[in-house]
Amino acid sequence: MRTEPAVLRQRAADGRAGAKARGQWAQEVLALARRWWIELLRERLNLVLSVAQPAIWLVFFGAGVERAIDAEVIGTDDYVGFMLAGIVTFTIVGNGVSGAMPLLWDKETGYLDRLMSMPIARSSVIVSRFVFQVAQQSAQILLVVLVALLLGVRIATGPLGLLVILVAAALLTMSVTAAFSALAYAVPQHGTFFAIAGFVSLPLLFMSNAFVPLDAMPGWMAAVARLNPLTYAIEAMRTLVIDGWTSSIVWSLAVLALAAALCLAAGVQQFRKQTGERVQG
Amino acid sequence: MGAVIEAVGLRKVFGDHVAVEGLDLGVERGEVFGLLGPNGAGKTTTIRMLTTLLAPSAGTARVCGFDVSTRPDEVRRRIGYVMQTVAYRGLLTGRECVEIEASLYHVPRREVRRRAAEALDAVGLLPHADRRWTTYSGGMKKRLDLACGLLHSPEVLVLDEPSLGLDVQSRHNVWEYVRDRCARGATILLATNYLDEADRLCDRVAIIDHGRVVTEGSPAELKRSVSADVVQVTCGEPERLRRSIAREPWVRDIVAGDSGGLHVYVEDAAVALPAVMRLGLEQGIELERVTYSQPSLDDVFLLHTGRELREAEVAS
Repeated sequence: MRTEPAVLRQRAADGRAGAKARGQWAQEVLALARRWWIELLRERLNLVLSVAQPAIWLVFFGAGVERAIDAEVIGTDDYVGFMLAGIVTFTIVGNGVSGAMPLLWDKETGYLDRLMSMPIARSSVIVSRFVFQVAQQSAQILLVVLVALLLGVRIATGPLGLLVILVAAALLTMSVTAAFSALAYAVPQHGTFFAIAGFVSLPLLFMSNAFVPLDAMPGWMAAVARLNPLTYAIEAMRTLVIDGWTSSIVWSLAVLALAAALCLAAGVQQFRKQTGERVQG
Repeated sequence: MGAVIEAVGLRKVFGDHVAVEGLDLGVERGEVFGLLGPNGAGKTTTIRMLTTLLAPSAGTARVCGFDVSTRPDEVRRRIGYVMQTVAYRGLLTGRECVEIEASLYHVPRREVRRRAAEALDAVGLLPHADRRWTTYSGGMKKRLDLACGLLHSPEVLVLDEPSLGLDVQSRHNVWEYVRDRCARGATILLATNYLDEADRLCDRVAIIDHGRVVTEGSPAELKRSVSADVVQVTCGEPERLRRSIAREPWVRDIVAGDSGGLHVYVEDAAVALPAVMRLGLEQGIELERVTYSQPSLDDVFLLHTGRELREAEVAS
């Protein structure tokens, strides 16, 4: 079958327009990420505290609680190894809340209006935040893993497994960042945001396998935890640390990817809504 | 080429409050067009609809030929928007703010540095470019916003109360900027509640009150349409004076100002002044003060709305 030259030319033009749009989108995301990056570097104390926090948690939590834990229940005598995934996830949730804050300030100080009057894709603000969060968080995870190694933990799947841990963390980060961004855009003002974020964060962790395996939970709680994306991230990471390569990891990552897509869609939708209706004279 | 900004029956309702009520607007290419009205008249809401930040409840608006509701991206590419309040930009320096926004306007990567420096230079901020923007004075912060409005050489600049709260020097900087941009071919839409700003800067002005265009024209036309002169009389019994001069042939209109005085619109103050004084004397009304002036845009506003612009602002 022959294709008409005009059609081919049109396709080539569409292709060029598409490539240009992608290039512009990448430029927007990088420009916004640069903004977050500069701010982070100028808030050194914040930087140091946030990077060190998960490692400190692991040390104190690991050292303090280990003796109170029944190795039968958690299925391993490596409690620090067991907790590693929980601490990483805990960090991701905390980052999700603090990561949505700049968006909240932009909205309240009016800079969001300035951004929205620009010809930028609506997704680039959230995605830039996500790119930035993943970078910051990967540094945190590498540090906490280093501390775990010093405490005698051995990652069953080795360096490649560590890479997959970072991927699982990134997927969960996308869900959590997008969800808290959506919340930041949806609330009338920042007090509501902090009230809801504070209310949700800890139950989100308790209603997962962060501290207790699903098998050890009452049935109803395990059922709730199964609906929680945190559970899948923890399962994947914990398996990589303690058990080694299994097919369940692929399943967990697939669920995480789906959750990330859903949350991102919700975030972008809330962002769009902000464009359409803002009651402010 | 028709109007660069064209609004027909534009309307915005927030709950049960009608902020903009069927507004029609036509801004021609290359002109400085002013939206003049008190706070709460619907200027900012109108601007937010024209800059695609707010979806109109009814009516249509086109900017550079593109509908703001259906082709917002094309509109955004062509406008520079400087908000009423200075945008908060965190811990960045002036240069960083401008460079990041240049990238957001898709200035080619290799040109970002140069274009940002040019924009900073255009508003006189280049010497202060590497300071944190939070250390800037109010006027400098405004100039930073103005610089950011230039980065993509927009066809249309939309300025919402650009000189609000600025000192005299900074106001003059803003005016200079507007004239310069206009000379380079940009079309400028400017919201203001300063009469002198509208008068000196704008080629045409739409006076807005309660979400509607009350009247529209060049400042000179608008003032001429009021009358040639205004005689202002302050006296003890304004109502009695009003009745006694209302039928006189030299009176075009009389409006009571909010401060109790009468604004008598006349063709020729040279005729009207002695007549007012003679009639006052005949009726035994004590005149405290009689002055005359050329009509201002405030008179235009007063004539069309029955309120003075300054008073309307306090009331709303």
